[in-house]
Formats: sequence, structure tokens, C-alpha cells
Amino acid sequence: MNILKSVYNWCEVRLGIKELVEKELTGYLLPRNINFWYSMGSIILFIFVMQVLTGILLLVYYIPEADKAFGSVVGIMNRVPFGWLIRMCHVIGSNMMVLFVLFHMLSVLFMGSYKSPRELNWLTGFVLFTLVQALCLTGYLLPWSQLSFWATTVATNSVGAIPHIGQFLVEFLRGGKLVGPPTLGRFYTLHIAVIPILLASVIGAHIFFLERIGVSTPPFGLDNTKNRWQGDAFRYEGHPGGIPFFPNYLLRDMTSIAIYFALLAAVVFFYPNLFFTKDTFIQANPFQTPAHIKPEWYFLANYQTLKLFPNEFIGLSIQGAAMTFLALLPFIDRGNEKHPLKRPLFLASASGGILLFIALMVWGHYS
Amino acid sequence: MNHERRMMKTLIRIGPLLLVMLMTGPGAASNVLAQEEIVCIHCHSSMPGRLGEPVKLWRDSIHAANGIACNDCHGGDPKDVANAMSPARGFLGAPKETAIPDFCGRCHVGVKKDYLQSAHGKALGKGGPTCVTCHSNHLVLKANLDIINEKNCSKCHGFEQARIIREAMQQTESLIVSIGERIDRFKGEGVDTDRLGKGLFSSRNRFHTMFHDLDVEKVKQESTQINVDLNKLAGTLDKIADQRNKRKLAGVWVVGGALLAALICYLLRKTYD
Amino acid sequence: MDSSRRKFLFTCLGGIAAAGAGSALYPVYKYLAPQNTSANGEKVSIPASDLLPGDAKFFDFRGEAGVIVRKRSGELIALSAVCTHLGCIVQWERDKQDFLCPCHGGKYTEDGVVISGPPPRPLAKLAFTVAGGAIIVG
Repeated sequence: MNILKSVYNWCEVRLGIKELVEKELTGYLLPRNINFWYSMGSIILFIFVMQVLTGILLLVYYIPEADKAFGSVVGIMNRVPFGWLIRMCHVIGSNMMVLFVLFHMLSVLFMGSYKSPRELNWLTGFVLFTLVQALCLTGYLLPWSQLSFWATTVATNSVGAIPHIGQFLVEFLRGGKLVGPPTLGRFYTLHIAVIPILLASVIGAHIFFLERIGVSTPPFGLDNTKNRWQGDAFRYEGHPGGIPFFPNYLLRDMTSIAIYFALLAAVVFFYPNLFFTKDTFIQANPFQTPAHIKPEWYFLANYQTLKLFPNEFIGLSIQGAAMTFLALLPFIDRGNEKHPLKRPLFLASASGGILLFIALMVWGHYS
Repeated sequence: MNHERRMMKTLIRIGPLLLVMLMTGPGAASNVLAQEEIVCIHCHSSMPGRLGEPVKLWRDSIHAANGIACNDCHGGDPKDVANAMSPARGFLGAPKETAIPDFCGRCHVGVKKDYLQSAHGKALGKGGPTCVTCHSNHLVLKANLDIINEKNCSKCHGFEQARIIREAMQQTESLIVSIGERIDRFKGEGVDTDRLGKGLFSSRNRFHTMFHDLDVEKVKQESTQINVDLNKLAGTLDKIADQRNKRKLAGVWVVGGALLAALICYLLRKTYD
Repeated sequence: MDSSRRKFLFTCLGGIAAAGAGSALYPVYKYLAPQNTSANGEKVSIPASDLLPGDAKFFDFRGEAGVIVRKRSGELIALSAVCTHLGCIVQWERDKQDFLCPCHGGKYTEDGVVISGPPPRPLAKLAFTVAGGAIIVG
């Protein structure tokens, strides 16, 4: 204990950390009625760090060449000690990332935290959602299996529906007319360098915005659940008498992260094949399309939507419109009520939207 | 007016317009690339009766599943309609009965050799069976012991001799099938079953060539040797299964540890409240 | 009371964290540590006098079939006898001085190069040395 105290003092006289600790840790107060949904953000951050670490480890043995990629992944799964563990954490982790991003988005929607003055937070969050999807899309190709190859073919084909520039876009994405070695090259670069750097920067912005304006108050258990923001001046939303971040809320976050980790471990060790099909373990064959290629669960709703509309461009536009609506939500929904049960139109639309998404996903799975 | 009510009104106004937009649109979206098909299939698949039937039968065969098509057996040019049936491009047509073993034996070399040495092969052209008699010509399926059955064998003679051989081989055949299933399952879990699959394939072929031999003593001898090899394969599979069980056990500890950590953090937080 | 309880819980947490860190670092260490390559390293020895020109000898090499050929020119070559098509064991045709796979008719030269048939790759070469009248493969 003495050593810790002397280290602390040494840092204090050089960096003034006492002030920082008081401001950001022990003195940073959170609303008393905070609930576990507020931990989703830290869980996602933890998942991101795990993905980066497992991803870097995989880089040691992965070979990004079309004729060697599959073999290198087979080697990681079978011959490299604990390679299976690293790879499975990365695969399961990527699916968990999407799931928890959806949970996070839903909780923000239902508690009205996207409303003014937090539009920037919502916008950066939306950008992050898109970047996560892009990570999933690019990462999927890297093992170069039948599933990777053909799922990427279908996914890159869909942008061809855009009039005039569609075909050019498809070829630019693929680096050629068909998915092939050039596609692997550019998807690999995007997946390990470009998108992670963008993601890290936007995460930084997202957390900065959060800290700057203050954590929003959950609308549950309060009499007045209206948003009190007036928009005339910058006002930090403090929570006097609230729970300190350190150590109280940090411990809460740690509990949530530990539960997430238990969930991840349960799937990695007991249901590792949850997201695999038999095409995952066959090397890509550009001359043989497997019978039933489907995208991963998080893209099934998009896939089914495209199948529903006879014109692909309309199918794409519908989805583009939906995503744009979602992105601009804080500018469309200007009501100042935050409690979900007091916002009937929102509740109906959101529940309808979620049910539609799930229905399309299930339909896509069985079709 | 309340913000939400305003939004409702807007939606009700533009809703029908959106709906109309959605239903229109020409053309069908086709996401998945069609597989290339050879010219033989272009014509023969739509022909009636005897000329079109082979295509339907072939589609369910093991040849089709492995990319072996019409021209691989019958010759001819698979891409050029004009020369699809040209003898100059190697077109052989349908072989006469006595030419069938040579026809199939161009690829199935070992089998042809065994067959010609057997009583069946010596009876070729004198009422004896050809490859097609038991294996069919277009609906060729993955070979297994069930081809030796009463219906096939009693076409020409009694089933007794064949039954003895079949019983002698049943055990090895079951072992081969069960090992094959285990390998397939492991493959679906990411295990590198390449060598195992090849080993099994090699043993299976050695075993199946004996079907063309008809010499009971020889069959029993070879089967013993093949069983040794198969048991080695089964041993490797057992080791893999063991390893995977150990991983599950480790998983119990990890999940347990994580849940314990969650509990402790929770209790710790409570001490601060 | 609260403080001693807190101390106990912190110690427990510390213990679990240490166990967790250990059980995370051990696999990562083993994952990154260099492995001793070239598999088992078992060698097979064959007397050189067993092979006359034009002969081939099959043997078991690390669980798979291997073959040594003494070409008519006297030169030796060691190959894997596993056909690269689907894994059957190839046969040596002494009269034609080539390899023929009985399963689907794949043909290879005495050097393992594919002449015809379905094999996609040549027969894999095996490393060997000749020392003191014996051929040592591996």
C-alpha cells in the first residue's frame, strides 16, 4: 500500500492527477436510477479491444493470398497451439459485437437518449454501426472458404442495382469483374487497417461527446420524464447526489463485462459451430456455387428485403431510406418526452420496426 | 399540436404513395451466378424419352456431384454444338455391351483389371454382367455393399454365394461408413480431416475393388488387413474426440470463473452503496 | 465490518484476475512460441542394393505411403505414393516406367509429374540422402 501511495504522489506532483481523478473518476457522478443497459457501451468497448487483440494474433499466421488463405486458417484451427481458441473468439466476438451494438442502439432509442442535445452522439453512433457492419463484411471474405467467396459475391453484386454507376461500383469494390485475389487484397486492407483506425477515432469522438454533455438521465422511476434542454446555451448535464463512476459504476461495468465474457466463453467452448455451415470448411471454388448460400444472421433481413422486391434498385433504396431515417432520427423526432410508454407513436414504430427486422431475418433464414 | 400527432398525419398522407412505389419495378433480381452447363445438356435435357432421360438420372449421380459430365465418358466437344458429337473430337457414342468395361475402365483402371480377372469378367459377352448391370449407366451412385443384393444377383443365378461374400464384408463396410460419418462431422467443426479423408478413401477403394473379385478366401484375407488400417483411423478420430472433450472441460472452468468474477464485482459494488 | 468484507472481496477478485490473466497469457504464449517444424523427423532407411535400375520400392513413411524409384539411368528419386487426386496409393508400372493410380487412372512420370488423368498436382517429393550403401528418407 505504501508503494502505491508513493507512486501516486510521484505522479501527482508532476501531472496533477489528483484533480483528474476527482473530475473523471471519483467525482464523475452518474444518475442514481441508472440501469444495466447503460453498461452496453463498455461491453462493446471490451469486445472491440478483444477483437483487435485476437485479430492481431491471427495476423501472425494468416496469409492474405487467395491460394494460401484457406490453408493458413486451417493451420490456425488445427496445428497452431490454441489457434482454435483465438480464431473462435474472433468469430464469435464479431457476432457478439453486432448483437450488443443492436442492444445498445435499442436501449438508446427506448430511453430517448438520442434527443437534443445528444444528436452528435447519435450520429457518431450511427457511423460506428455502419463501420461495424463494414468490418463484418470485409472480415467474412478473409478465410476464403466457399461461404466467404459466394457471400461476398452476393453482397457486392447488390450495389450493381444502382443506376449508371452500379456496375462500376461493383467492379471497384471487387477489384475486377468477379470476386478474386484483388478483392481479397482490398478487403484485407480495409479490415485490418482502414476501418479499425476509423472505428477507433469515431469511438474516441463518441466517448468525448458523451463526457462533454454528460450522461443522460434514464426516464424510469421519475415523475417528470421530459427532456429539459432549452438549446440556448451549453449546459453540462450533471447528476448531483449521483453514483460516482469510480469505484461504484466501474464495478457495475465490470460485472456486466464479466457476464458478457461468460456468455462468450460458453459459446466458444460449447457451441463453436453456431455460426458455421459446412461451406465454411470448403476452400473457395470460383466454378462451383453451393446450393444454399446465405449471409450471416445480421444481414439476413437485408438479404430477404432484396429478394422481396422484383427491382433490386427499389430494394436497395428502401433500405437506404430506412437507414437514413434512422440516422436522422434526432432531427425528425423533436418531441421532448423520454419515457417510452409516454411516446405511443415512437413505441409503435420502434416495436413494429424491430418485429419487421426479426420477421425478415427469420424468413430469410428459412427461405 | 403535439409533435407525435403531427408525424402521424404526415405518415398517413405519404404512406399509400410509398406502398405504390414499392410494388412497381420490372425485372427479376438474380443474385447468385448460374453454373456453367455444357452443350450436351442444353439439347438433351429437353428431349423426350430415351434421349432425355440420362440427363435427369445423371444429375443425381456421384459423377455429377464431382464435376464429371457427359463428355468425360462419351467424348465429344462440350462447348461447341457443331462438334459436340464429332468422332474427330473423341465422341464415342453409347458403347456396345462387350465394350462397356473398357469404357468405364478408362478411368476406373483398377476395377476393370479386377473385373476382367473374375468369373463375371470371363463371362462378358456370354450372358455375364457388365458394369452397368449393377451400377447403372447414368444414375451411378457412390458404391456400397447394398449393390450386392438379391434383386441384382438373382438376375442370372442364385443369391447364396453372393450372400456369403456380403456377410463377410458387412463388418468392414459398417466400420468404413461409421468412420466416414465421424470424419464428416469433424470436418463440419473445422477439424483438418484432409489426411483422414484420404486414408479412408484409399482403404475404401481397396475394399471395394474386392467386390469385383468373387473369391471368398481372398476377400476375407484382405478384409483383415483393411480392418487394421481402419482401426488406426478410428484411433486417430478417438484422439481428436478426446481433445475436444478436454476443451469443453476447460470451458466449464472459464465460464465458471467469469461468472464468479461477476458475482464478486457485484458484491463489491454493494459494499460501496 | 464493511471494510474487512471489502478487503476479502478485493482479495478474491485479485485471485480470479490473476488466474484469468494466467489462463489468457498461457495460450497466447504457446500460440506465439516457435514450433519445431518438419513434424516427427522419423527417418526410413532402405539398403541401396535393394533397388535395381527400373525398380520401385514402396514403404511406410510417417504414416503415409512413400516410394523410391531407381530410374533406368541409375538416378534415385523419393516420392509420396499418395495420389494427389483423392488419396489412393499409386502403382508402379515396371514395363512403362511410370506410376498409374488404380482408382481413376491418373498417370505420373517416374519423377511424379502428372501425364494424364484427374490428379491436380505432381506427387510430392521426399527428401533423402544416400550414406554408406543405404538410402535414408526424411
